Amino acid sequence: MRRSAAPLLLLLLLAALLALPQVLPRFHTYVAAIVLLTALLATSLNLAIGYTGLYQFGHAVFYGVGAYGTALMLTRSGMPPPVAFLVGPLAAAALSLVMGLICIRLSKLYFGMLQISLGSLVWAVVYRWYSFTGGDDGIHGIPLPDAIASPKGSYYFTLTVTAVCAFAMYRIVRSPFGKVIQGIRDNPVRAAAIGVDVRLHQLASLVIAGFFGGVAGSLFVVVESSVFPDMMFWTFSLEVLIMCLLGGMYTFFGPLVGASVIVLLRVFASVHTQYWGLILGTILTLVIIFLPDGVLGVFARRSLPKEDPGA
Amino acid sequence: MRKAVSFLAVVLSTFCMAGSGVAGETIKVGFVDTYTGPATTFTNDVLDGFKMAAEKINAKGGVLGRKITWVTRDDKFKPDIGLTMAKELILKEDVDLLVGTINSATALAISDLCRKEKIPFLVTFSKSDKITGEKGHRYVFGMNENTEMVGRATAKALAKRKFVKYWIAGDDYEYGHAIANGVFDHLKTLNPKVQLLGQSWWKVGETDFTPYITQILAAKPDFVIVATGGGGMVNFQKAAQSTGFNKKVPFYQHTAIELSTLMPQGQNAPEGVYGTANYLFYYPDTKENKAFVEEFRKAYNRYPKSGALYGYMTAEFIAKSFEKAGKIDREKFIDAMEGMTLPSPVGTMEMRACDHQVTLPMFFGVTKKSTQYDFLVAGDVVSVPGKEYMPSCAEIAKARAK
Amino acid sequence: MDFAANLISTGTLSQILVGLSRTTILFIVSSGMSLILGVLRIPNVAHGSLYMIGAFAAWTVIQFLGGGLFAFLAAMIVAPLIVAAVGFVLERGFFSYLYEREHLMLLLLTFSFALILGDLVKIVWGPEYRSVTVPAFFQGSAEIFGLPLPWYNFFLLLIGPCIAVFLWLVINKTKLGKIARAAAVDGEMVGAVGINVGRIFAFTFVLGSFLAGLGGALIAPMVNISLGMDHSLIIETFLIVIIGGLGNMWGALLGSLIFGLTQSLGILVWPQFGIAFPYLAVVAVLVVRPRGILSSTW
Repeated sequence: MRRSAAPLLLLLLLAALLALPQVLPRFHTYVAAIVLLTALLATSLNLAIGYTGLYQFGHAVFYGVGAYGTALMLTRSGMPPPVAFLVGPLAAAALSLVMGLICIRLSKLYFGMLQISLGSLVWAVVYRWYSFTGGDDGIHGIPLPDAIASPKGSYYFTLTVTAVCAFAMYRIVRSPFGKVIQGIRDNPVRAAAIGVDVRLHQLASLVIAGFFGGVAGSLFVVVESSVFPDMMFWTFSLEVLIMCLLGGMYTFFGPLVGASVIVLLRVFASVHTQYWGLILGTILTLVIIFLPDGVLGVFARRSLPKEDPGA
Repeated sequence: MRKAVSFLAVVLSTFCMAGSGVAGETIKVGFVDTYTGPATTFTNDVLDGFKMAAEKINAKGGVLGRKITWVTRDDKFKPDIGLTMAKELILKEDVDLLVGTINSATALAISDLCRKEKIPFLVTFSKSDKITGEKGHRYVFGMNENTEMVGRATAKALAKRKFVKYWIAGDDYEYGHAIANGVFDHLKTLNPKVQLLGQSWWKVGETDFTPYITQILAAKPDFVIVATGGGGMVNFQKAAQSTGFNKKVPFYQHTAIELSTLMPQGQNAPEGVYGTANYLFYYPDTKENKAFVEEFRKAYNRYPKSGALYGYMTAEFIAKSFEKAGKIDREKFIDAMEGMTLPSPVGTMEMRACDHQVTLPMFFGVTKKSTQYDFLVAGDVVSVPGKEYMPSCAEIAKARAK
Repeated sequence: MDFAANLISTGTLSQILVGLSRTTILFIVSSGMSLILGVLRIPNVAHGSLYMIGAFAAWTVIQFLGGGLFAFLAAMIVAPLIVAAVGFVLERGFFSYLYEREHLMLLLLTFSFALILGDLVKIVWGPEYRSVTVPAFFQGSAEIFGLPLPWYNFFLLLIGPCIAVFLWLVINKTKLGKIARAAAVDGEMVGAVGINVGRIFAFTFVLGSFLAGLGGALIAPMVNISLGMDHSLIIETFLIVIIGGLGNMWGALLGSLIFGLTQSLGILVWPQFGIAFPYLAVVAVLVVRPRGILSSTW
C-alpha cells in the first residue's frame, strides 16, 4: 500500500506545483522557481556525492558555468535560444570532465580539496575576464524568448525542466549504471575486483552531475535574466552541500527538501535579520550532531528500512 | 518515501501562508543594500543621511500630506540575494521607489529589473559608469559619482601638473580597471605627452603590497595612479607609509582623502597622497555644509562621509520631485526628477534629464596632518564643478546606442 | 618587455626578501592547517575565521594596552592565546564527540563554525574597519639597492624561522609531539597502545588554532582588519597544503615558499599578471606530483 501511495503523492505535488502561479502572488511564484532550480542543483550534486561517494566540493562552478554558457550564447552569439540552453549544460559537463580527469586519481578528501581549489581558479578567471564574462559586474538584461520571459512563463519552464531532469536522474540512479556507482561508493575495492572500471564510472557520474548542475544554471538565467561570478564562489558550493546533508544525502528526494528549506529560510532571514551566517551555521551544527542522515534520511530509515538502497 | 513527499507538501504550504504587504498612505522607499561585512562602513552613512532628511521632512508634514517611510533589506553583497530582495520589495512590500546598493553587479541587475517593472531606482553608492551610461534607462538614477566622472575630474586636475611618466596599479576588478583607465585615457587626451611605463594588478583583498611597491619604484615613474577600492584603500596606504613610498613617488587614489580611508589610520596615514572625494565634512567651509555636519553629528555622533551626502540628497530629491509631480505617481515622479536642481551642502546639484546622473562637485586634494583632528585631512583642496567634468549628453547617447 | 633582464636586476634581492616575509605568514597559517589535517584529518574551513579573530583580538589588546612596542608584542602573544582558547572550546565542545563521523561531516561542521564565527566577529567587533599601527620600533624601511624594505618585513623574516624551529622542537622533541606524529600515521595504533588519543587531538587542534591566530595577529599591522578577510586566505592555504603534501608540516613550508616566491618574482617578470604565477606553479606541481611534493599522511 505504501508503494502505491508514493507515486500518487508525487502526482499531487506536481499538480500543486502546476497550480501554484494561478493562486499565489508573483513574488511567491518567483521564489518557487528559485526553489525548484536550486533543488535541481542540489539533486545533481547528490548524484556525485551521495550516490557515487565522490567529495564534490566545487559543484557551484558547474552551476555557474552552465549559467554563463547560456548567458553568453544568448547575449553574444545570435544563435537560437534552444542552442544556448544546450551549450550551457554541455560546457558544464565538459569542465566537469576536465576537472574530473585531474582530480579522480586522488583519494577522497584530497579530491575534494583539489576540486574546491580548481573551482576557485575558474571563479577567478570569470571574475577577471572583463571583456568576455563582464568580470565582477556580471551580465544583465539577458534577452529571453517571450514565451519564458514572463514570470509565469519562466516558472513553468523551470518546473518542466526540473521535473524532466529529476525524472532522468531518478532513472539513472535506478539503472544498472546507478547500481554500479552505488556499489563503487560502498566498496570500491570489491567493485574493482569484480571487473568494474571504477575510474570510468566515477568520471561518468561526475560528468552527469556537472551537466545537470549546468541545467540548473541555465534555469537561473531564465528566472533572473542575470548572471554573476558570485554564483560559483566556493562558499556557495558548500551551501549546496549543506542542502544535500540537511535533506538526507542517501535519499533521492532529500536534497530537494534541503534546498527548499535553505532557500526559503534565506529569503525569510534576509527580510528579517542580518545574521544569516549565524542561523545557517547553527542549523547545520544541529543537523550534523543530531540528524547526520538528514531530515528525509530519518523518515526513510524509520518507515522503509529495506527499500532505500542508500540507507 | 511517502513521508518524504508529505514533508514537501508541508514545506510548500507553510511557504504559501506568508502574507503580502498593503500599500498605505505613505511614500514607501525600499532600500536594498549591503548591511553585512566591510561595506557597512559606507552603506550605514547612506541610510543615516537618508533618515535624517526624511525625518525632517516628515516632521514638517511630509510630502503631499504623506510621510516618507522606508524598509531595508540586506543583500549581503551578493547580487542574487539583492535581486530576490528587490523583487520582494516591489512585489510584496509594494514600495514606490527602490534605493541602493554599493555592489555594482547588484545595482546593474536591479536596474534591469526596475526597467521591466517600471519602478524608479535611485543608485546610491555603486561606482560603475554603466549604470547611467551604457546601460542607463528611464527608471534608473545615479545619485553619486561614477568611474567615468572620477576619471575625467582627476585627469583634469592632473593635466595641470608636470608629471610625464605614469604607472598604473590597482585591485584587479572592474572598478579598479575602470578608475585607472578612466584617469589615464582622459589624461592622455588632455596632455598627449604623458606616457605609461607599466601596470601592476593585484587580487582584491591583497594584504602585502611590498613586492608591488618595490617593483614600481624600480621602474622610477613620476606619478602612480593607484586604483584600489573598499578595504584596499587602507591596505595600500599602510604599505605606502611603511615603505616610504609616498615620499619617493607621488601617487593618487580616488577617495584617498576621504574620511573612511583616513580616520581608521589616525595620525599614521601617509602624507602627500593625492585623492578625490565627493564630500569632505570640513570643505567647503560654508554655512550649508557646517549646518549639515552639525545636524548629522547631533543625530549620529560621528562625522558624515560621502555616503551621508548621497543619502541625504536622495531623500531631498525624492521629496521635491513628488511635490513637483503633484501626486504619488511613478511616471510623473520621473518627469519631475529630470532636470531638477536642488541646493545641497556642497552647492547646487542637478539631476540631468538626458542620463539621470546627478551633477556634483569633485574635490581634489592632498593628504596632510591636521592640528584640529586626530587623523589626516585633505589640503590644497580644489573643487572641480560637476559641469566641467561630466561626460556630455551626446557622449552618453553614443554609449547607449552601442 | 624583456623578462629575463627583469629577473636579474637590482630588484631581485629585495623581491626575494619580500617574498620570504610573505612566506612567513603563509607558513604560519598553513602549518596550523596542516597539523590539524595530519593528526585529526579535518580540513578546517574555519581556519580562516580563526586567523581573522587573531587579527581582531590583536587590535583589541593593543587598544587596551594603549599602543607602543610592549602592547604590540603582548598582542602577538595574547591574541593567538585567545584564538587557541576558541579552538579548545570547539574541539572539546564539538569535534571530540564526532571523530567517528565521515570527513565530510567534519568538514561541513567546520564550515558551519566559519559561518557562526564570521557573524560573532561582527557582533563583537562591529562592521567598521580596524587598523593596528606598526610600533615605532618597526616603522620605516631599510634600503636595499635603493629599494625600500619595511623593517616590519625583517621582523617577519626573523619570526618565520623561529616558528619553524619551534614547531620542529614541539613535534620531534616533546612526548606529546611524538605521539601526535605517530597518530598522524596511524591513529588506531596509538589508541591501541593505551594512549589517550583525545588529549593528543585537543593538543593538536589548540596548537593549530594558535598558529592561525598568530598569523592573523602578525598580519594585523599590515592590513585593514575587516570582516571577510578570512575568505580569500582559506583557498590559498588549501592550495599550499595540497602542493606540499596533505598533513605534512614541511610540505606546508615548501608550499608557502613556492607561493610567496613565485608571486614576488612573478611581479618582477610580468607585473600586470603577477597574481597568476603562484597558481601556475600549483598546476605545474600537481601535473608532476599529483599528491604533492612531500609524502602525505593521506
